Amino acid sequence: MASASVLSEYKAPISAHFSPYDFNGGTVLAIAGNDFALIATDTRLSQGFAIHSRECPKTFTLTNNTILGCCGFHGDVLTLTKTLAARLQIFEKDHNKPMPTASIAAMLSTILYYRRFFPYYTHNVVAGLDEEGKGCVYSFDPVGCYEKESFRAKGSASAMLQPLLDNQIGGKNQNGYTAQSLTSTQCVALVKDVFTSAAERDIYTGDNIIISVVNKDGIKSEKFPLRRD
Amino acid sequence: MAMMMTSGFPNSEGLGVGMEWMNNEVSTGTTLAATEFEGGVIIGADSRTTTGSYVANRVTDKLTKITDYIYCCRSGSAADTQAIADIVKYHVDFHRMETGEEPLVNTVANIFRQLCYENRDQISAGIIVAGWDKQKGGQVYSIPLGGMLQRMPYSIGGSGSTYLYGYVDAGYKPNMKKEDALQFIANAVSLAINRDGSSGGIIRLAAISKDGVERFTLTGKDMPKFFEDS
Amino acid sequence: MAAPCVELPKGGFSFDNCARNARLEQLGLKFPTAYKTGTTIAGAIFKDGVVLGADTRATEDTVVADKNCAKIHYLSDNMYCCGAGTAADTEMTTQLISAELELHRLNTGRVPRVATANRLLKQMLYRYQGHIGAALVLGGVDVTGPNLYSIWPHGSTDKLPYVTMGSGSLAAMATFEDRFKPDMTREEAMKLVRDAIAAGIFNDLGSGSNVDLCVITKDKVEYIRPYEVANIRGVKQRSYRYQRGTTAILSSEVKKLDLDVFGTEVKHQPMDTQ
Repeated sequence: MASASVLSEYKAPISAHFSPYDFNGGTVLAIAGNDFALIATDTRLSQGFAIHSRECPKTFTLTNNTILGCCGFHGDVLTLTKTLAARLQIFEKDHNKPMPTASIAAMLSTILYYRRFFPYYTHNVVAGLDEEGKGCVYSFDPVGCYEKESFRAKGSASAMLQPLLDNQIGGKNQNGYTAQSLTSTQCVALVKDVFTSAAERDIYTGDNIIISVVNKDGIKSEKFPLRRD
Repeated sequence: MAMMMTSGFPNSEGLGVGMEWMNNEVSTGTTLAATEFEGGVIIGADSRTTTGSYVANRVTDKLTKITDYIYCCRSGSAADTQAIADIVKYHVDFHRMETGEEPLVNTVANIFRQLCYENRDQISAGIIVAGWDKQKGGQVYSIPLGGMLQRMPYSIGGSGSTYLYGYVDAGYKPNMKKEDALQFIANAVSLAINRDGSSGGIIRLAAISKDGVERFTLTGKDMPKFFEDS
Repeated sequence: MAAPCVELPKGGFSFDNCARNARLEQLGLKFPTAYKTGTTIAGAIFKDGVVLGADTRATEDTVVADKNCAKIHYLSDNMYCCGAGTAADTEMTTQLISAELELHRLNTGRVPRVATANRLLKQMLYRYQGHIGAALVLGGVDVTGPNLYSIWPHGSTDKLPYVTMGSGSLAAMATFEDRFKPDMTREEAMKLVRDAIAAGIFNDLGSGSNVDLCVITKDKVEYIRPYEVANIRGVKQRSYRYQRGTTAILSSEVKKLDLDVFGTEVKHQPMDTQ
C-alpha cells in the first residue's frame, strides 16, 4: 500500500496521442409511413465546444426514391457518401435502372462491414420506397449490422428522440391504445416538435432541420429553424 | 437486433479538445531583466500572461512593488508568484513597523528565498528581487526555481531569457548611466519578445534609486527595433 | 469504525474518503461528474461604474442541465461576482466570501472594497490549489471608484478594464478587443457586454439561453434578469395530451389505517395582560 501510494505520486508521461476519429455532432431521424418515408437531420456541424457550420445538412439523396441520413465523424460521412454515390452510378450504368432501396441497404451493410477493424464512425439510416411503393427505413450500426424498422433516431440526440417516437408512433406505454399509422403531414409536425425539444437539451443539435419526404412523386425537402445557441 | 458498436464514439469525451487553456494553470511565460547602474537598479519585463495558448492578460504588470524602494519581477505560475509576493509584502511591512526603517534589499530577497526554498516541491516561481537601500545602494538578487539566492550585477529570468544570455553578457558594463541602463534592459526585453512565443505585449520598465521609483512603459513604435525579415 | 451519519458536520470540507476514492479511480471506477457551467461571463468598466454579464446555461457533459441558471452572484450591496467552472464551487465560494465581507462591514462600519473581496477570493482559491474549480469575474464600486478583476481557479488575479471568463471567453473577448473604449456611457457599456455575452451564447456550445446583466454604479445596483431572451423556444405543432387512463395501473390495494382519534377541548381564556 505504501509503495502504491508513492507510485501514484508520479504521473504518466504526457504523450501527444493522435486519434483518427472525431465527433461532429448531428442527429438524424427516419420514419416510414404507408406510402412515404422521411428523413430529418439537423444542420449543425460542431466539434468540442465550437460550431463549424450552421448549414450542413446530413441528408443525402441516393436515387430518385432513396435517401440517406448520415452523421458522426464528418470525415467518414464525406468518404462514405462519395463511395456510395460512385457505386450507385456504376449500378445504374450497368443495369439501366436505379438501385432499389432494399439493395442499397444491403450494399451499405457490406461497405460498412468491409471496414470492420477500422470502421467508418458514422450512424446511418436509409429511407425510401420499396418495390410495392411502401415506405421503408433501414437503420445501421457503424460496422454494418442493419435492420428494417418503421422509425429510428440516430446520432447525438437519439436517446432523447427515440422514446418519444416509441410513444407517439409506436404507441408504447399507453394503456388501451393501439398505434395508428400517421400521415406524412402528421409525421412532419411530430418531427419538428421532437427536434425543437432535443435542441433545448442537446448542445450538438440546433440551427435548422432539413426534412426530406420521399413518396411516389419524388423527394421534397423542407427547412425548419431551431434555436441557434 | 444485436448492435455491437452503437454506444457512442471512442472520442466522445473529447469535448475538451482544444480547451487546454481552461484547465491549465495561469503562468507568466515571461521575459525578465534587471541590472545595476550608477545610482540604483533598472528592472524590465514583458506584459504577457498565458494559459496554454491563450493570452489571459496582454498588459500584465510583472514588476510588483514590495516597498517604495524594492520591487520584484515575477515568472512562473501566476498564482504562486502573486501569493508569494503578497506574503513577503506582509512580512516586510511588519518588519518596517518593528524597526522603523526601510527594509534592506537583502532582507526582502531572503524572505523570498525562504518561501521559495521551503515550498520548492509545490510551487513554480522564478523571481528577481531588485531595489535600493542605504547600506549597499542598488542591488539585484536572483531566486531561480529551486529557491537558491544569488546577488548579481545583472540578471535575466523567465522563458524568454534563454535568448538573452549572449546579449547581456556582451552588453553589460559596470556603472552605466541611467539612460544607458534603461536602453540596455529595454533592448533585452524587446529582443526576447521577438523570439519567445510566451513573451509579448508591451515593455514595462522601472528605475529605482535613492529618489524612489520611476516607472516607464514602452508600447508600439517606442519599443526598440532590431533586424526583422520583411 | 466510522461514527453513525447522524453526527453533525464540524464545518469545513470532509476529506474522509480521498485516499479510498483515489485508489478506486486508479482501478477504473468512474465517478459522478459535477455540473460544469460551460459559460460565458464578462465585465467591463465604464464612466461611472461596472457592467457584469453572464449567460444562463448549465451543462452536464453534452446535456443542458439548467436552461436558466443565475451566474451573477451577490457579494455585497456594492459588489457582484460572475462564476464559471464547477457550479457548486462558484456558488459556495461566493456565498462564503459574501458572509466574510458582511462581517467585515459590520466590524469596520465601512463599505467593503473590491480589492478586499479580491484578496479574500484569491487566498481561498490559492489555499485549495485549483481543486476548487471556480473562475470568477469580480466587479463593484467602492470609495476608490469602479473596480474589475478576473480570478482564476488556482488563485491568480488580473485587474483590468474589461475581462471575460469561461468556455465562451474567447468569443466575448473578441467582442471587447474590437469595440471596448475607456469612459463609455452606461448604455454603451451595457450594449457592449450584451454583445460579448451573445457572442458566447451563439458561438460557444457550452453557453446558451439568456443574457443576464448587472450594472453597478455608486449607490445603485441594477440586476436585470433576464436582460434579453436570446433564444425563444419553438412553438409546438401538435398536442401531447393523453386520454385519462392512458397510464396503466398495474395493481391497487386499499389499506385501512388503525388510528386512535383524540379530541381535546380548548376553552376560551382571556389573555394575561398584567
